[in-house]
Amino acid sequence: MSQRSLSRLQLHDLHLAQGHRAVLEHVEGDFQPGAITALVGANGAGKSTLIQAIMGELRPIKGKVVCTVPRERRAWLPQQLALDLTFPMSVEELVMTGSWPSHGAFKGYCAAHYRKGREIMARLGISHLAHRPLGELSGGQRQRALIGRTLMQEAELLLLDEPFSNVDSETVDILIRILRQMADEGATIIVVLHDMDHLRQLADEVLMLNGGHGRWVSPSALTHQQTPAQVVPFTIGGRHAGSA
Amino acid sequence: MLDLLNTWFISPFEYGFMRRAVVGGLALSLAAPTLGVFLVLRGMSLIGDAMAHAILPGVALGFLLAGFSLPVMSIGGVLFGLMVALLAGAVSKMGGQREDAAMASFFIISLAGGVMLISIGGSSVDLTHVLFGSILAINSTALLLIAGISTLIVLTLAVVFRALVVECLDPLFLRGQSRRSGWVHSVFLGLLVLNLTAGFQTLGTLMAVGLMMLPATSARFWSKRLEGLIGIAIVLAMVASTGGLLLSFHLDIPSGPSIILLAGFGYLFSALFGRYHSLAAKLRRKTTPLAVEQG
Repeated sequence: MSQRSLSRLQLHDLHLAQGHRAVLEHVEGDFQPGAITALVGANGAGKSTLIQAIMGELRPIKGKVVCTVPRERRAWLPQQLALDLTFPMSVEELVMTGSWPSHGAFKGYCAAHYRKGREIMARLGISHLAHRPLGELSGGQRQRALIGRTLMQEAELLLLDEPFSNVDSETVDILIRILRQMADEGATIIVVLHDMDHLRQLADEVLMLNGGHGRWVSPSALTHQQTPAQVVPFTIGGRHAGSA
Repeated sequence: MLDLLNTWFISPFEYGFMRRAVVGGLALSLAAPTLGVFLVLRGMSLIGDAMAHAILPGVALGFLLAGFSLPVMSIGGVLFGLMVALLAGAVSKMGGQREDAAMASFFIISLAGGVMLISIGGSSVDLTHVLFGSILAINSTALLLIAGISTLIVLTLAVVFRALVVECLDPLFLRGQSRRSGWVHSVFLGLLVLNLTAGFQTLGTLMAVGLMMLPATSARFWSKRLEGLIGIAIVLAMVASTGGLLLSFHLDIPSGPSIILLAGFGYLFSALFGRYHSLAAKLRRKTTPLAVEQG
């Protein structure tokens, strides 16, 4: 079996636009199970647009996204969350909503599911916050709770938009470890990253978006650059972050 | 003392109309505030108001066709309310206009249309009745209708509870989980219309929203948990509807406004003295850290 047929997410000559403005053209891609792909590019390069298209929220103007992961096993953690933080819900309740694929809207949670939820919170180091309302969490704690929901969901395709911005270093370490574990268990993970340190620790492959095109590069090609960390992804494409 | 209690709280219910009114009020108090809590959480507080206006032309048509028959007027109200909700949804999908903007346009058209219809076919007394209700004129048929609708709403809410919570919290997640997640929103709007139709007989189309929203907005000052919010809102609505009725009986003032004003008083009290986010809570908060450090 060829490698291409193994992958559960493929982009075929993808053309995307926001309104009437073309954002990306001729993007090809092949995301392997168990691989963490970093999506890099300057602001406005089309990272979020590409994620929207992969999640089926944006219809391509040409080409297609082929995804064999069932809809309910895809998870998306956008940068600006639709999540209402004043909502009167606890961390445990949020994590438990991740059992939607198995329980849907009507089936009751059983003890085994609550146990699973507690194990997940322990893995993420948020057991002590189980009954804390969402509105009282720090950025890092909230990000961990949301990852807890995707673990509960047993997500096989996980898209994260800058998951490490505004979170503490302890959370970054935990999230990197958990994401690696999820990938080892066969999940396909795509992460929008800005920080070279994170990229070095996490990425198996890099898809760089620049000038409306996508280019696959190896993480080592990027990390061997001597340029200061955050600037590298932008300068490589000949475009500086400040110009976007 | 016992005499006073008897005069104030027991003897009014020797009258049949008061008994029916209080049962109707309590039934509404179970369903309306629960919907109100979700409206507040979804940031749709004003949609309730809009929908209340939207049912008016249907109620008016029912009135023109069958006179003062609550079932016919209710059916008209439900049909028209659902139609406006669907139209508003369609316009917002089609033109990119936000749903609340489309809803605001439709409800004001509906209100004018409804008032026009009633004025053509009836008198100003009828108009007042429809707009402001008359809880004291509830008959057994109306009571059954109100209780039936309230029961249906509470049961449906229990069934769709999880979906509703997930949709309120993170619509994007629910959309990701199911292509057909739109049904949650539709069911919710349907329940809203049903509830307002049940409410218009007792409180009128304009005031029915009060029993839905005021207890819900007040509860936010007392609890941070969803169950707490719903429970507190229901209790507040029950106290307001029963208390309002008694006040209207003893002081000889109109019943609908007494109920809503009592609920409004509850809101002001909560905003001033509630446990969370109230004025008192803010003052308390300023002093706590010092006390903790000293301790």
